[in-house]
Amino acid sequence: MTITGRFALLLALGVVPVVAAGLAGAAEAWVALAGWLTLALGAGVLDVSLAASPRRVALGRELPDRVRLGESVTAELTVRNLGTRMLRATVRDGWEPSAGLAGANRTPLRVPPGERRRMTLQLTPWRRGDRRVAQVTVRSAGPLGLWSRQATLAAPGRIRVLPPFHSRVHLPSRLTRLRELDGRTPLLIRGQGTEFDSIREYVRGDDVRSIDWRATARHVDPEVPGSMRIMVRTWRPERDRRIVIVADTSRTAAARIADEPRLDTAFEASLLLAALASHAGDRVDFLAWDRRLRGRVHGASGPDLLARMVDVMAGIDAELIEADWSSVPGQVRRVTSRHALVVLLTAADSPGSSRGLLSMLPQLTARHTVIVASVTDPALVEAGAARGDLEEVYRAAAAERGLIDAARVAAAIRRLGALTVSAPPHELPPALADRYLDLKASGQL
Amino acid sequence: MSGGPPTTAVPDRAGSARAPTEQAADAATAVTPTFRALVRRRRIWIVFAAVLVLGAIVALAIQGGLRPPGVPLGADNPAPLGSMALVEVLRDHGVSVTESRSLESAVDAAERGATVVLYDEFALLDESRLDRIAGVAERLVVVEPGFSALEALAPGVRLAGVASGPIDDVACELPAAERAGSLGDGQRLLTVDDDARAAGWQGCFRDEEFGFALVSGEGDDGGKVTLVAATTVFANESIDDAGNAALAIGLTGGSDELVWYLPGLGDVDAAEAPSIAELTPGWVSPVMVLLIAVVVAAGIWRGRRFGPLVTENLPVHVPAGETSEGRARLYARSAARGRALDQLRIGAIGGIAEALKLPRAAELGAVTDAAARATGRDEASVRRLLVDTEPGDDHDLIELAAELDVLEREVRATLRPRFTRPADPADPTDPAGRRP
Repeated sequence: MTITGRFALLLALGVVPVVAAGLAGAAEAWVALAGWLTLALGAGVLDVSLAASPRRVALGRELPDRVRLGESVTAELTVRNLGTRMLRATVRDGWEPSAGLAGANRTPLRVPPGERRRMTLQLTPWRRGDRRVAQVTVRSAGPLGLWSRQATLAAPGRIRVLPPFHSRVHLPSRLTRLRELDGRTPLLIRGQGTEFDSIREYVRGDDVRSIDWRATARHVDPEVPGSMRIMVRTWRPERDRRIVIVADTSRTAAARIADEPRLDTAFEASLLLAALASHAGDRVDFLAWDRRLRGRVHGASGPDLLARMVDVMAGIDAELIEADWSSVPGQVRRVTSRHALVVLLTAADSPGSSRGLLSMLPQLTARHTVIVASVTDPALVEAGAARGDLEEVYRAAAAERGLIDAARVAAAIRRLGALTVSAPPHELPPALADRYLDLKASGQL
Repeated sequence: MSGGPPTTAVPDRAGSARAPTEQAADAATAVTPTFRALVRRRRIWIVFAAVLVLGAIVALAIQGGLRPPGVPLGADNPAPLGSMALVEVLRDHGVSVTESRSLESAVDAAERGATVVLYDEFALLDESRLDRIAGVAERLVVVEPGFSALEALAPGVRLAGVASGPIDDVACELPAAERAGSLGDGQRLLTVDDDARAAGWQGCFRDEEFGFALVSGEGDDGGKVTLVAATTVFANESIDDAGNAALAIGLTGGSDELVWYLPGLGDVDAAEAPSIAELTPGWVSPVMVLLIAVVVAAGIWRGRRFGPLVTENLPVHVPAGETSEGRARLYARSAARGRALDQLRIGAIGGIAEALKLPRAAELGAVTDAAARATGRDEASVRRLLVDTEPGDDHDLIELAAELDVLEREVRATLRPRFTRPADPADPTDPAGRRP
């Protein structure tokens, strides 16, 4: 139960009769005060006894299932009055703060008995993951609007906020490069890692080295008797390769670099690589791992792959625990026993914290092609270049130390037979995609 | 309390068109407990609180603490600071005790020959009134006289603080004092100077050289005046200490009639002036009460929470630069100039080797050679800069760090013949792993 500003105003208006009575005498003023208070309280009690029950209300929700981070959605709530009195309600929907509810979240509703009304709220979530709502608070005012009854009702709901996939802007240019590889452009490229596709007639511009003389000898030109048609072989890149993306969700993933947690960068890079690889006809599996499997996408293909990946990623946050790298080869083996491209998205910036990764790598590189992708801190490069005063020099020295450490770890990783990709947060997804295209072009998948 | 612009409420046509019974919607489960459920759930605490309150009330009632403390030294006040004990004993022994709150009645009784006990707690009586009562009273006992009372009644007797403990040195021949023999703890003291002593004032119950707990003498008009410096002799709580009771009875029981005079507001000049209550109109107090009610109502209106707070689990995010910052502070605190410069040198050598396309495992000598050749500097000076010179102080360190930076930029600049500016500050070095 609560009271409204109108009731406070009503009480304050009592000044008029009290002063008027007070002109006659003090006793009359006290009588007027008591009378006014009784009147106001009586009106309040009467009002609240005539208010509709906020408990006899049925609630229904209509929520979109998913939303990409940064986009807005409308959430609808239906309030149905099950009571016999007019419900003059103010409704507050109890969304989590990060659901980004616009406005004051105080919706006035008038619901006649037995009817229902719909209210629309606009949400712009500002955090990835499941944004939940558990309850709705209904404040039901009486006909005079003096006192009201209040109850909080359970009305659970959920919106899954997906990773934003900002790096999709890089996708068209990479797909163009992929099509060039694929032979779908006029330019024919023959190289390692391609397999025989078909034989067709030579057109000007084709690589003369790709002329198949035996096929040419078999193809007599019917229009010009005695001469041959020159045939060329066409090639296409390998298809149906396996790609296993392992995102490290341990404590290093919680680090925020250039205002983006490592984990989010890893997700962006995974999504771009998965989108590219699924266009190229490869099969992508995704694992999120620290000491246990946090999320897994297996056996999805085409448009379903990205949808399932963002769905799995939405609920994953970095945990403050050390990653257990020794189990990663086992996890990869459970996904595929064939040769695969294994992409490890982690932090490889200091020898101490990378020891587990380094001791595990030989097991993976013996069987698979491995890329270790990590984010570099652009702030370190900046700090390393600034050498104005003593403080800056020490900071530059510390930054150089960090860069040297990262370089040592990268060298150790390369010595163990894996490839490294490291770039600032916004450049890591395209850099990883480019490395994938290189591998594809050179047939190392 | 209206919703913001994007928050709209629209009637749901489809829903309201249907018959209410068609949709068997169940009422949502209420999270807020009903009043009855609230009482039931908190029953134990409510009972506990009730028991506590009842216990406190009973304890206060037994101790008598619920009664107001009453007037100090009031004749009808049984509280520790009252004087009902003394007054009742005197009445039992046939002394007729009259309570008086005004000068007129006290003077009337004194004129009939009554002993007057005067306790002027707030120094309400002015000099003329004191003179008047002292002039008519045959025996006047002034309890805890203030500064102005001493000036008026006994010039030369002065206040002298608090006694150090119980007093048993009677030091005078006053019969009541001799009968009492000693006084309990908590006495105050008065001093008597030579002029006063010459005027007939004598002190009793001496506390070493500090002063006397009681001073007696004769007033200007021949009445006997006794000044008792502390109230402890008469108060209920301490009247049974040592000889307090004997002294009190001796001082007050000397005549058949006793006036117990505690000056009231009527004895003050200012009493003729109108009080604040008389000056203000009658509606002011009720309006203030009303305003308090309005403030309480407004407080409830604004302060009532609209449903419970919504909690949210936030993920952990750690700024990655903290490690590097911490290491920099460590270098600075321990003034590790050599170590700091080493890091910069390793970084510069790596950068030069990379720029000059030397193999990763190139020897240091090869790098310095190549750098010297590329920049046209002296090989020895390059080697000194990159390897040998020890930074002696902070200034050296800053200079060497800057020179290393210049050298690295020069090496890079020589490899870009098109850009002839030697040290382009906007020189974007290729981050590792990025493809051209």
